[in-house]
Amino acid sequence: MPREVGRVTTAGADVQVTELTVDDHACLTFGEPEELFDLTAAFVRDGLAGGLKVVWVTEAGAQRATPELARRGIPVESALADGQLAVAGCEGCLLSGQAFSAGAAMRWLSGQMAASQQDGFGGLRIAMDMNWALRPVSGVEELPEFEEVMAAALAGTTASVLCQYDRERFDPVTLATVAPFHTRSVAAATYYADALLRICRQYAPPGIRVAGEIDYRRQEPLALALAEAIRLDGDITVNLADLTFIDGPCARMILDAARGLATSRSVYVRCHPVITDTFVLLGARDVAGVSLVSADDR
Amino acid sequence: MTDDVHRSGRAPAGEGDSPPGPGMSIAARVQPAVDQSFDGDSLYAVRAAVAAHASAAGIPAARIRDVVLAVHELAANAVRHGAGQGRMRLWITGGGIRCEVADAGARPSGSDGDGDGAGPDAGSHDAAPWPVEHGHGLWLVRKVADQASLDTGPSGTVAVIDFRFESVRATS
Repeated sequence: MPREVGRVTTAGADVQVTELTVDDHACLTFGEPEELFDLTAAFVRDGLAGGLKVVWVTEAGAQRATPELARRGIPVESALADGQLAVAGCEGCLLSGQAFSAGAAMRWLSGQMAASQQDGFGGLRIAMDMNWALRPVSGVEELPEFEEVMAAALAGTTASVLCQYDRERFDPVTLATVAPFHTRSVAAATYYADALLRICRQYAPPGIRVAGEIDYRRQEPLALALAEAIRLDGDITVNLADLTFIDGPCARMILDAARGLATSRSVYVRCHPVITDTFVLLGARDVAGVSLVSADDR
Repeated sequence: MTDDVHRSGRAPAGEGDSPPGPGMSIAARVQPAVDQSFDGDSLYAVRAAVAAHASAAGIPAARIRDVVLAVHELAANAVRHGAGQGRMRLWITGGGIRCEVADAGARPSGSDGDGDGAGPDAGSHDAAPWPVEHGHGLWLVRKVADQASLDTGPSGTVAVIDFRFESVRATS
């Protein structure tokens, strides 16, 4: 786990999710659902904006996955309606009757590549939740073979695949085995992480995410994260939905960052009521450009 | 109205007794529910202990936040501007929560956050413009606590805060 103050780490990753190219076979590692949904939303958003067909194969299921995308600003309804976006479960794509076969999964992938071309899309982006491999699925030993064959099949095409591995649940041996078959490794830019606190970049909508407890002792990585977020264009979201404590100096630092922005830009601080109250005490309601958004709004 | 800030140089309270002060009916020499030493590396443990005991006493979540925030800010002040370490004691009685944060460091005049000289009832103005750098922590404490006092002098600093609750389950 990265633990850095004063510089950014990306858990061994070599690119940001926003830097992937047309035929990448990327390995995304994530530590919590919020991070997975955020990075996937950015992958989907950029694919849709680029005129690509986008498919998300997810264990979460369409019922949970599509609202998570919509909440992050993805035009889910229209993209689903016109066929540019598809969200599917693993069964029927990667699995058949809860059994995995590298050959069958590759046939599904080839079919998706052909269909996206037939439908006139400029390319294909597939986000592939690999959590199915943590369940007792027969044929799971063919996973490395699948990753290897897929890497060869994607090279030189206009199709890219983002394989999503939960780094907290997959054993290091499996991760180390499949990693070499990927052209890129992707993770959220992380400014600080230990057992109590995690500060990382948020990609969709852009900003930062702070989870756990934060006090003045971690002002330095918070300042760096805010400074990098401010360098982006447009509005900034400070996602504190998983934050359980913030002290006065850190809350004030966030408000001060908002005060320094141009009047055309806003900072959305997303948090639960207990955190909201601390910002209100510090006068956040009267700081121009700051909006306190309830994290309970889904 | 109790004088909010004293500079009488009272030393940290001794073993086992409760901090003196009007407003709450805590008998002298009541054992605290929490008696915990802290330094900069253990502020999270102070917060966790306060939250756990306040929750067990049946205090609403929003007020637990207030108690935790106030105690944290006092302890952080002791670490940053006092001796660098200190002692936190917390009493839960039928009338509410009292917490004492003590450290052996004296605060130079002005650096303990009392720059505006505001009492507990003077915190109703808006937060902007920011008070002096070190003052914000104590400003927050006074804003959320029902009563707050700070004694500081050459031998140390003792802060006592009271939160009154109607239906607290006494645990000590």
